[in-house]
Amino acid sequence: MTLVPSNLKRKTRAETDIAAAFAAVGATLPGGGREEAFARFEKDGLPHRRIEAYHFTDLHTLVATAPHPAAKPSLEAARAALGPDPLPDFDAARFVLVDGWFFPELSDLDGLGDAITVGSVGAALAAGCGLEVLGIRLADGPAQDDPLIGLSSAFYTDGLVLKVPPGGRLERPIVVRQVASGAPVAAFVRHLLLIGADAEATIVASHESPDGVEIHAHSLTELTIGHDARVTLIDRQKEGDGVFRFASLAVALDKNACLDHSTICLGARLARTQVFARLGANADLKSRGATLARGRTHADATLYVEHLGHDAVSRELYKSAVDGEARSVFQGRIKVDAGAQGTDGRMGAHAVLLSDRAEAMAKPELEIFADDVACAHGATVGAIDDALKFYLMSRGIPAAETEKLLIRAFLGEVTDAIPEETVRAAIEADVEAWIDARSTTR
Amino acid sequence: MTMLEINNLHAEIESEGREILRGLDLVVKPGEIHAIMGPNGAGKSTLSHILAGKPGYAVTEGTATLDGVDLLELDPSARAAAGLFLAFQYPVEIPGVGNVTFLKAALNAQRKARGEGEISTPDFMRLLKTAAAKLEIGQEMLKRPVNVGFSGGEKKRNEILQMAILQPKLCILDETDSGLDIDALKIVAEGVNSLRSPDRSFIVITHYQRLLDHIVPDVVHVLAKGRIVRSGGPELALELEAKGYADFAEEAA
Repeated sequence: MTLVPSNLKRKTRAETDIAAAFAAVGATLPGGGREEAFARFEKDGLPHRRIEAYHFTDLHTLVATAPHPAAKPSLEAARAALGPDPLPDFDAARFVLVDGWFFPELSDLDGLGDAITVGSVGAALAAGCGLEVLGIRLADGPAQDDPLIGLSSAFYTDGLVLKVPPGGRLERPIVVRQVASGAPVAAFVRHLLLIGADAEATIVASHESPDGVEIHAHSLTELTIGHDARVTLIDRQKEGDGVFRFASLAVALDKNACLDHSTICLGARLARTQVFARLGANADLKSRGATLARGRTHADATLYVEHLGHDAVSRELYKSAVDGEARSVFQGRIKVDAGAQGTDGRMGAHAVLLSDRAEAMAKPELEIFADDVACAHGATVGAIDDALKFYLMSRGIPAAETEKLLIRAFLGEVTDAIPEETVRAAIEADVEAWIDARSTTR
Repeated sequence: MTMLEINNLHAEIESEGREILRGLDLVVKPGEIHAIMGPNGAGKSTLSHILAGKPGYAVTEGTATLDGVDLLELDPSARAAAGLFLAFQYPVEIPGVGNVTFLKAALNAQRKARGEGEISTPDFMRLLKTAAAKLEIGQEMLKRPVNVGFSGGEKKRNEILQMAILQPKLCILDETDSGLDIDALKIVAEGVNSLRSPDRSFIVITHYQRLLDHIVPDVVHVLAKGRIVRSGGPELALELEAKGYADFAEEAA
């Protein structure tokens, strides 16, 4: 039995705000299952440190208040909020959401290919088509019990619905832009991505918001990948410095399916990025993450990878560079089901601390119920290696330049592997800018 | 004219306060090769580290100048730009930093520090190709991250390659022969010999006379208990090989 101190049981201001918001808008939101979802959230409220999955990211204390759910901004306001395209050289469709609401006027969804269904969750809900009829079991598995997923499932307003039929191919990648108007609101996005058997798709998510405003950006992506299908998913998060970002990916890979997933965390005051993956037989998951945290930010990457079928391969590599008084958290669990013989899972989490007050937590876990598996995990936390620094300096490279070179090299293992070249170049530029800003602000 | 001048150098390991160098004097003239030999724990590697500016040591007394520049005032990168090069006994592996990128960054950083312009890429590639060929370093090794997955011999050859590219005034070879087989030793020695010039000096730190058959020194020093206790010509190395260091251990005691 877990003993929970009474101060953790008391409802916080933020929890009261959230309950009031649901009472006000819950009934007006279309689609089913909202009451149940909210009940799942409310059972324990904002998770505190006594809840294992949130031990290092105690939302009970980190989230003081909760802004009101965003109403749909006017088209003019949305247009004004839209900054320059984050990936100007990337030939891809654009699906634009502002404050969690889809704007077809600001989007470009042409040329995706025959038989591709692309639309918005909002339109589907308005048409009276509950999302369950879209044929997906939302957030199956352990994701279902997650309080943040409960919250997203209760409040979601809009998102991308994408169906690629069996054997189909997304002719252009889709960039999903999640933009903030700048109003201090809570935005709730929920995407449904159904990639049929033997199909192919590339999706890039871009999160952008201004500095200096407390926005709660909730985002839930549900992705099912049919057998032998191949998906590339890249998540580039450049939220403003006041933003609380809660992003979850729940993905199921059917047999022989491949997912190449990258998540890059560059902003937000608090970021919780969750991946719940369920792997069928011979599935192949690559999930990599780079976190760059500074100031007094808190960045959490939490993974739960379940090997359900036999002979699936998963590779997880998460790296963080932590500066100032920031804190990075990595939690990764690989669970191997009794039937998942021949599983090959490898997980690495590495953090480099760039200041005396930076912190990094790493908690890799293996939970294995099969007997013929190869699973490994490794975690390291440390400062920049003095021996490497001295070696580079002894060749004439100045101290500041040496640090840059070593930070870039450290994160390079993640960024170099990002599959789309244009997106990779943009992310490498982000990393470069982050490192440069570091040396000028000291 | 002197290249390196060390006067009464005293230094200790910072964390322990233990004195390693105890009044060391050394003068190396341009174009000369000096060998420093001595028993384990005499301070040979410490001397090379202190000259290169490795953190963790404190110089408590004395001076060291390179071509008139006070080395002890400078950080390691500035010492390199001033013309000092240390070939490491144990070169470190640097994952994620390509060998070529690293060499070019180092050369350009030094040129910048000296107020010279950046080298053009074609010029750099020519320089690199010639130097690499001499050391039997292939494209594949150049493409890899610095020293990652290199054998002991490859790492040492890579050190000499850096030396050839950076064209230092004073090269310190810290037990470059350790871990090398005869063939690799010859390649390394030839690489060093081809860099000999009237305005470049070498300090070769070694335990064994063998290396000095290939890199023939002008002066041989015996370093024991933190000081140079004896200096002589190449014949001194042969004498040490025959008799060991027992005499000096007593002398210094």
